[in-house]
Amino acid sequence: MKVNIVSLTCCAGCVSSFLNAGDALLEILSQDFDIVYSPTFVDLKEVPEVDLAIVEGGVRTEADEKLIREVRAKCKILVALGICATHGGITSLGNVISVKKLLEKEYFVLETSKLPELEDLMYPICNFVDVDYYIPGCPPMPFLIIHSLKSIVSGKPPIRHQSVVCIECNRKIIAAKLDRLYGIYEKEADPNLCLVSQGFVCLGSLTREGCGAPCPRAGFTCFGCRGPTDSLLYRSRDLYSFLVKVISKRTGIPEEEVKKELYRNPFIFHTFIFSKFEHFKARERII
Amino acid sequence: MTSQREITISPTTRIEGHGKVTIILDEAGNVSDAYFYATEIRGFDYFLNGMEADRLPFIISRICGVCSTAHVLASVKAIESIYRTEITETAKKLRELLLMGQIISNHSLVFFFLILPDFWFSKEEDPSKRNAFQIMRENPEIGRKAIALRSFATRILDTIGKREVHIVSTIPGGLISPLKEKEREELLKAAEKACATTREAVNLGKELFEKNWEEFRKAGDYKTHYMALTGDDALEFYDGKIRIINPKREVFSEFTAQDYMEHIEEKHYEWTYAKFACLKALGCQKGIVQVGPTARMNVNKKAKTEFANRELEEFKRKFGSPAHTTLLFDYARLIDLLYACERTRELLEEENITRTDTRVKVKPKGGIGRSVVEAPRGTLAHEYTLTRNGRLKNMKLIIPTQVNSAAINLNVKDAATEFIRKGEIKPGLLNRIEMVVRAYDPCIKCATRDATTSLKVEIRNREGKLLKILS
Repeated sequence: MKVNIVSLTCCAGCVSSFLNAGDALLEILSQDFDIVYSPTFVDLKEVPEVDLAIVEGGVRTEADEKLIREVRAKCKILVALGICATHGGITSLGNVISVKKLLEKEYFVLETSKLPELEDLMYPICNFVDVDYYIPGCPPMPFLIIHSLKSIVSGKPPIRHQSVVCIECNRKIIAAKLDRLYGIYEKEADPNLCLVSQGFVCLGSLTREGCGAPCPRAGFTCFGCRGPTDSLLYRSRDLYSFLVKVISKRTGIPEEEVKKELYRNPFIFHTFIFSKFEHFKARERII
Repeated sequence: MTSQREITISPTTRIEGHGKVTIILDEAGNVSDAYFYATEIRGFDYFLNGMEADRLPFIISRICGVCSTAHVLASVKAIESIYRTEITETAKKLRELLLMGQIISNHSLVFFFLILPDFWFSKEEDPSKRNAFQIMRENPEIGRKAIALRSFATRILDTIGKREVHIVSTIPGGLISPLKEKEREELLKAAEKACATTREAVNLGKELFEKNWEEFRKAGDYKTHYMALTGDDALEFYDGKIRIINPKREVFSEFTAQDYMEHIEEKHYEWTYAKFACLKALGCQKGIVQVGPTARMNVNKKAKTEFANRELEEFKRKFGSPAHTTLLFDYARLIDLLYACERTRELLEEENITRTDTRVKVKPKGGIGRSVVEAPRGTLAHEYTLTRNGRLKNMKLIIPTQVNSAAINLNVKDAATEFIRKGEIKPGLLNRIEMVVRAYDPCIKCATRDATTSLKVEIRNREGKLLKILS
């Protein structure tokens, strides 16, 4: 199987994660998996026709858009790897203010022939092309990437993860009686109790499983980097009230109070969970 | 009529991020100018304003998936300097371990996957074969070594950082959890192996490097200032003083992280629109400074670990101090790698590293804070201004690739002049120019977090003729 690995606008963390797979990586490289195009590793300058294209990063510039269309036209299966490709990711935080406007202010002439024009927003790739499989995560864990790729190489659809991070987290959920919510650094977390039950804003209850819950297991709140889970996908406007209900239930704080506290920290959601996902239609393709 | 011609290398391959090299030839077909620049943009410096300081380290990490740990460490240190937090010795040691993991992870990737193909294959080799995967097919043992080292680094980051890429354990005040005794023993065992593997990698790198040295030395040796962290004249990554030496190896200045912005400034050059970083005292014409592996060897006199010190002494004997040739970055990077492995073992041998006092309580405040760490690509500085309510008001990051930009461009021009004469370009020569860029291991992901770095704007008329480069 011939493979292209393509980077659009991103931090390159997803391909780094792929390289962190150790022996499993050696194994897949020794199988029918021939990386023919990848600007990070291979000197080929033109995109070739292949069986599988793995794309990290989203569409921030017109050059990204042109490239993703070309990549789609030249591959049979297209995998969107990581939250930037699947949802828009962290760069979508720039959608709140117009980076393009700021640029125009700084550089009074933008009629450049060399630098690609910016799109109006940061988009996930599915706004431009059809995607066969989505593997969200920031970045997705190495084992998740390798397992999914192995299935694809052997002609099978990868195993899907349809539930929430809480089921992979070993912490015990209780209905506590707290007076307020806490910031991550405000107090030390009890190692056995659910982080929400202790007053931390953990997004595990909204977020798709498949990562193994490394963050909440370590005592750090889940940020939702795998995106919303199946059951919440088509009701994205309800994500917020769903979270308010979960927090209220597990902390004993009235919903109105929870809302007030959450309003003060809007970045909690916008980082990953509310990234754009406009043209997304096929949830059975999310791994 | 002008017969100016341009040569474009796009995308520059085997580097992190989207880059491009443009070489401009004059009427006689000789190089008149050359630029290396980035073609992507994200805008971190703008959209993070207003964010709670709590979340900064976690988000800042996303600037770069390759050197994310270095960014997290710089970020928590900057916040701690605003809060005036003194972390515990245990936390300091664990953070240094994380940084060593970062260096091993990055340098093993750069050496085996990005640089090695240039040393391994002859320059006539078919470009489609000139890559690490081909080496792994021809010599699986090398592939196993590459993966073993990378996996060792992954293990450090996973055990102490709690995630392999974009670690979560490090917060203002220390680390959220201590290292367990069992974890220490296992990591130590792995560290012994990694040290042996690295020594083999160093020997392989040196052998291939020496074989090609006569050719390598032709590609750029611009004499500049050098900057790196130092701890009593020894290699240092996490803490220490920042030292700058001049091209004659005299100490030009030495200062702490708090004074960083007094010594380094961002400025425009006349020949490009990019915002580079240079020495404030000398201005940007004379104050070009380089950071990274070679700079670390040039600034420091020794390394605290045995084999790295031996290699460092040999490096100085062979290439002089300061060493200027661009491709020596690739050699010096291996000494970094060796030091990082040995230092990891040393830290893990200290039994008190498993103490449970990894965290102190922080008292949030407003104000300005700065921090510096040695990231894989060189000295990395973060400066934040927080409001009274602990939200980000202003952020200024000076990234190694920004500091090196001036030197990269000068050396690319140098190399292009060497390899292109009278319009004649032989195949394989363009890769030699890319090798100069690659030596710096430039991180475009980092340099393009913001709109104002490494961009060059050219104005052209309707026919596409270059009228002016804005400066």
